[in-house]
Parts: sequence; C-alpha cells; structure tokens
Amino acid sequence: MTTPTMAVTVLRAPRAARADLTFGLSVGVLGVMVAAAAFAPLIAPYDPDAVDLAAFYSGPSAAHWLGTDALGRDLLSRTIHGARTALLAPLAVVVISTAVGIVLGLIAGWRGGWLDSVLGRLFDVVFAFPSLLLAILAVALFGKGLVAPVIAMSIAYAPFVARLTRSLVVAERSRPYVAAYRVQGFSPPWIATRRVLPNVTPIVGAQSTLNFGYVLAELAALSFLGLGVQAPAADWGAMINEAQAGILGGHFLPALVPAAAVVLAVVAVNVIGEEYSNRIGGGAPA
Amino acid sequence: MTLLSIDELSLDLHDGTRLLHGVSLEIAAGETVGLVGESGSGKSLTARSVLGLLPPRAATAGSIRVDGREVLGASRRDLLALRRTSASMVFQDPRTSINPARTIGDHLTESLRVCGGWSARDATRRAVELMESVRLPRPDEHLRQYPHELSGGMLQRVMIAGALTGSPRLLICDEPTAALDVTTQAGIVSVLLEQRETRGMGVLFITHDLNLAAAMCDRVVVLSGGRVEERGLAREVFGNPQAAYTKRLVAATPTLAGAPGGDSVGPAVVVERIQGGSDATGRAGSVAGPPGDRRAEAAPVPPQALLDIRGLSKTYRRSGREAVTAVDDVSLRVERGGALGVVGESGSGKSTLARILVGLEAADAGEVVVDGRARTSLPASRAARLAHARSVQMVFQDPYLSLDPRLSVGRAIEDALHLHSHATSRDARARVLRLLDQVGLEERHADARPRTLSGGQRQRVAIARALAIEPDLLVLDEATSALDVSVQAQVLDLVASIRRHRGLTVLFISHDLAVVRRVCEDTVVMHRGRIVEGGSTAAILAAPQHPYTRRLIESVPRPGWDPAAAGAPLEPAGRGQGV
Repeated sequence: MTTPTMAVTVLRAPRAARADLTFGLSVGVLGVMVAAAAFAPLIAPYDPDAVDLAAFYSGPSAAHWLGTDALGRDLLSRTIHGARTALLAPLAVVVISTAVGIVLGLIAGWRGGWLDSVLGRLFDVVFAFPSLLLAILAVALFGKGLVAPVIAMSIAYAPFVARLTRSLVVAERSRPYVAAYRVQGFSPPWIATRRVLPNVTPIVGAQSTLNFGYVLAELAALSFLGLGVQAPAADWGAMINEAQAGILGGHFLPALVPAAAVVLAVVAVNVIGEEYSNRIGGGAPA
Repeated sequence: MTLLSIDELSLDLHDGTRLLHGVSLEIAAGETVGLVGESGSGKSLTARSVLGLLPPRAATAGSIRVDGREVLGASRRDLLALRRTSASMVFQDPRTSINPARTIGDHLTESLRVCGGWSARDATRRAVELMESVRLPRPDEHLRQYPHELSGGMLQRVMIAGALTGSPRLLICDEPTAALDVTTQAGIVSVLLEQRETRGMGVLFITHDLNLAAAMCDRVVVLSGGRVEERGLAREVFGNPQAAYTKRLVAATPTLAGAPGGDSVGPAVVVERIQGGSDATGRAGSVAGPPGDRRAEAAPVPPQALLDIRGLSKTYRRSGREAVTAVDDVSLRVERGGALGVVGESGSGKSTLARILVGLEAADAGEVVVDGRARTSLPASRAARLAHARSVQMVFQDPYLSLDPRLSVGRAIEDALHLHSHATSRDARARVLRLLDQVGLEERHADARPRTLSGGQRQRVAIARALAIEPDLLVLDEATSALDVSVQAQVLDLVASIRRHRGLTVLFISHDLAVVRRVCEDTVVMHRGRIVEGGSTAAILAAPQHPYTRRLIESVPRPGWDPAAAGAPLEPAGRGQGV
C-alpha cells in the first residue's frame, strides 16, 4: 500500500523503543541515586566532611575517583551524601503539598459554591508568588536550614495539586456512578472520600511526581544561594556554591559533579513522571 | 451502472486482528443500500474504507471501486478528488463533527471556495440553495449562525447540505439519526430520500435500527463480526430472514406493530407476542388475556397505588437565563406490581422526573408518595437517605458510566448490601452470587471490573445492584438505549422476569415507544414537562388522542413496502411470555 500510513509505521516504531530506553535509563539513574542516599555511609569511600588539606584540588585518582575539593574532602563521598538532602527534601515537599492539595482540591471541587470561590482566590494569591521567593521569605523569617524552605515550598506547590484535584473531582462528581452511589443512600462525604478520591489520586500522584524535579532544582538553588543547607553539610547546591572560587582557578570538577547530579536527577524524575502520567492519563477512568 | 462496488474487502489491524472478513456489496445510482448490524459488526469501518478513512497501519485486501475507480491503494491526490466530487459522508453526531468555532456559512462555503475556486458570492448563493434543499427554515440567517445556535436536527441538515456541496454521486450516511429524537429523525429521513430522488445519488445507509433500515432502504446487507450474514431486498431480508443471526436480530427488535390503523389480533395480544425472547422460564405459547388479567396474575393483592405523584413541578432558574420548567404539574399513579412507561423526547422532562423520584433533585412543588410514605424532600439525615434508597432505586442510562470503574462487580453490590443490611462478609458474598445469578451473570463476574464487561453485562450488574437494596420501586431511565438490540431484548426480558418473580413496581423511562410497549401495560407521554396523554400502552398506540402523541407514533420508521403497519414483521407466535 502506498498510503501515508506506511510512512507512519516506519517512523513510529523506533520512537516507541527510544522512549522505553529513556524511561529505563531514568529509572536506573534514579534507582542508583536513591540507593546512594539510603546507604551513603556504607558506600561512600570517605567521611564526606573529612578535611585533608594536604590533598586539596587533587584531580581524579585511584584514591579519589572524582578528586577532592578546596579543603581536600572526597568529592565522590560528598556527592553520595549530598543525595540525601537532595532527594529527601523534595520528597517531603511533594508529599506535603500533595496531601494538602488533595484535601483542599477535594473540598473545593466537591462542595463547590462559595467555598470553591474562596479557595480558588486563595490559590490565585499563592500562585502570584514565585515558590523560590516564598522559600527565601521563609528563611528570612525563620532562619537558615531546610525546614523553613521545605514548608514554604510545600505551601507554594499545594495550589498546583489542589487545582488539578478540584478539576478532576468536578468532572467526576457529575458522572452517573456518583449519582448511583447517592441513589443507593451513601452519604456525600463517604462518596467523596472513599470512592471519588481513590479514582482521582493516581492522576494527581502522577502530576505531583513532575513537581519533584522542579522542587529539587529550586532547593538546590536555595542552597547555592547559601540559604538552604548550611556548610559544612554535603549538599549539591551548597557544594556548587563552595566550589565557585575553584572554577576560576581551573578546578571545575567540584562544581561540575554536583551540578551534573542535579541535572541528572531532575531529568530522570521528569522522564519518569511524564511516562507515569501518560500511562495513567491515557487510561483515564472509563 | 454500479456506482459503488466493494469486493471481498478484508481489513487487518497492525496487530493482526482481522476486523472485516471479505465484505462485498454493490450500490447502483439512485439506490439506497442499508448496512445493518450491531456495534462492532464492522459497518462503520466498511463505510469509512470507501472514502479511504482507514485505521492507522491497517492492511486491506480486496477492492473498493467508486464509479469504476479503485480506492484501496489510491494516491492521496486521487482520494482527495474522490472525497471532493464522487462520494461524501454524513456522520452520526452532528454536534461533534462540525467545527464549533466557524459559522454555518463558513462550513458550507469553505470547500467550494478552497477546492472549487468559487467566488465568495457564488459559494454563498450555492450554500443558500443547499440549505433550502434540505429544508432549513431561514438559510440567510443560518449563514451567520454558529453551530451551538442550531438544534441537533437542524445541524444534521447542515451536515447533509455540506455533504452535498460537491454534488457527490454516492452519499454515505453513518447512523445519521442515531443522536436525534424520533420526530426529528423522520424529518432527516425524508430529506435524505428526497435528495436521493432529485439527484439520483446512490446512498449507503448505515444503521443499527432495523425499522429505520426497512423504511429507508431498497436492499440491505446484514453484517456481524465483520462478515456478511445476509443480503437481499429489504422486504425479503426482514420479512423472511434466512440467516440465524438476522432472525435473532429481527426477533429482538421492538416494534409498534399494529399500532395505527388497527390490527385484527387486538393490541393487547400483540403486546404479548412481542414480549418475546429466550427466557427459559417463559410460558411458551401462552397468549394471555388483556392487561388487567396479567396484572392480577403478577400481584394477587388488590391494586393500590405504590407510587403516587401529585402536581410535581420543577423549574430551573439560572441567573441571566430564561427559567426552564422541566417538570410542570405532573401527576401519575403506578399500582403495586405495575409498570408505567414514561415516553418523551429529549427535553421533555422525563429524566428530571426520575431524578426527583430518586432524591437527586428537589421538586419546587407537588408531592411524591411511595408506598404510603412521603418521598418528596431531598433526604438529609442518614436514616432518611437509607429509607429513600429502599423506596426507590434507579438503573441509569449509560452502563459505561454508572458503575465505579475501580470496583469489582461483587464489591459494588456488597457495598450496597453492607449499607442497608449490616450483613456479614460471608453472608453478603452469598447474596451477591445469588443476585448475580438472578440477573443472568455468573460467579466469575463477581471479581470482574466493569471495563472487562460488555454493555449488557454492565447493565445487568446495575440492575443487580439496585435489586440488592430491595426497593419498592425501580426506575429505569433509558436503561436500554445505550445497548444493541439483541442485548436490549435480553435486558428487557430480565426486567420482565424480575417483575414476575418479585412483584416489583417499575417506572420505565424511554424515548422509544416500541421498547415501552414491550415492558409496560400503561404509558404516559411527556412533552415539554407536561403529561399530555396517559392510559394503557396498547390504547395509546392504537388510538393516540393528543396531536403530539400522534406525531410521535407517526415518526417511528416503518417499512417502505407497507406504510400501514409499523415495524418489521414479527416471528410467528410461540415466543409468548407473561409479564
């Protein structure tokens, strides 16, 4: 057959295979990072904070695979330990913002009316602030460290989740199966929490996964600005900050390695989240 | 000469699934050929192949010739020429197949200006002509209107006019009236017939409705599972079907047989005869007396009103819009064990009535009494909710949407049981299996998710779920309109047998008079929120009093060869079954 469908056949197959490969690689990268974070003390060859002033800025060697930084600390060990805050803090933000967002979205979508309007305007106000700005504000108010920015970012990201949840719940509420539950005599709160909520959470969860990447990058930026994780703790953002001086001296690895880790983690999480939400979204409740 | 000839067309999807197995058919100029079959039979696929609209990566074999030119494997350019001048298509739902952001004038003149190089003025003049020919009331005004300003029937006329712009020799109609009311359908059908006459077009008419096919078509081809089951003159195929599949289809199709003009057998007996099907428990061959006797059989207790609705009204008021009175002073009574049909077209208020009955909407005025208990107000407390649920249950129109996609069938029914009876898990499970058995499902279905079930199976689940609560009144809101005719017949039989065994009272809401006559002894006709006529179903069909009822009955398609009798002929007696 000479119809255009043939050409489509040729183009499509490899694209699908490539997507699978990218997805597999991303899962692999994230898996390695999570394992590194979980077993950091066991894997890391050195104490991340052990200063060896005799061996500062030593390039990659058998002893130090990725070399050392300005204070002679092992770069590989610090990167491995840095994965802990780099992954844990965004995880906390995603979990908290998803939980808060789902509750608010469910209330707004299910109840509708004035409550929906009030919550909707509230979300708009939060949307107006860039999340990083809110985090910096929180640091200014409550002091440096990770706790304040995590809470601030959770608040900043909750409206995204809430708005999505609300729209899904509104769509779901008008479906006949919800009316069928009401006709059977189930109470509206029971239907909302026990039946509608489980039907929308997979989609919301998939979208929240995508937030992880953004939060990771923003928290790294915060640490880079010196407002997040504080020296001497190993953190990718803070490591880049500390390594700034070295770049001018030609020692780019101490900055490049954590930067590459941030990029890899964000890309991996986004690829996984994208794929996950495609799979869920494609099979929307039927 | 042959306008369209499809020869041994077979079609495989890229994964190797064969959807069409050697379909052949021919259409001559000026002839209407019906392609009849249930969903999944491949009728739309066959029709779309004629215009080269194939599923992606599908492999075809055989040949399709339009005006002697081969379509399969034709170049893009040839296909375009074919679609522009030789053949065009009218789709099922006009609302979804027209661009909502362009005016009707744009829609009708676009192809003339872009493909035919017409000037805007000529194209507009032609569009007006076309709109006049499909009997649109105000062509000049419609030119500037947007699709949302037109009703479904008017929009379908616009789509037909659009299909005619290229003066095609072949018109393919894919269920062009399936989304429309029956009175609207009658208008569309007459326009199609008229255009076929004046233009000498060949028409390939796809439908699932045997009555409509019988009314429209000279010849029919019956498809099932991608194979041609039977072909021939419409009159012969429907009057004397040969293939087993066609026989089943004809038997399952509800009709209005003997309605106007009278029938020597008498309406009540005809009702009996149509209530056919393959119910093993049916009393084969028995032809019961008039409806009154049967009611007495079903419920030995003296008739008393189980459902009593008095002066019910509901008006929707939205800010900035005109108030819509959906239900206007409706009063009706249904006796215990009785079945009342509520017939009306879209917008007649019949669904609002149902929603008020089951407590999903509050009425503005009037009262609803079920079994002596007031059920007018929206249930607020838990006790009121449960009591209301035990009074009235409902089976919804679309079984694809009325079941929770996440829950297994057994779980869905168990939920209802737990809520209403505090049954232990084991007890509930046993009752679930019993209920599934009653609606003709098996134990293995208890663990199935809705998406793995067919439409008919899902509707059985919905019925079982409603029965689990053991309501006094079961409201069926268009419960079979989303189903294929053979499945519809099974579900209607199921409803009949449940009524017989449980003495259940049924309010059957439908747009389809033929379906209602199959289930209900009594019927009310709703029009614009009001009940315009009520009485025994047979009497209403035989001698409609209200002009609207008359129009409704006259609009039901009937075979072209026998204008007096509506619907396809029935199978001989022997399938009788009491209600």
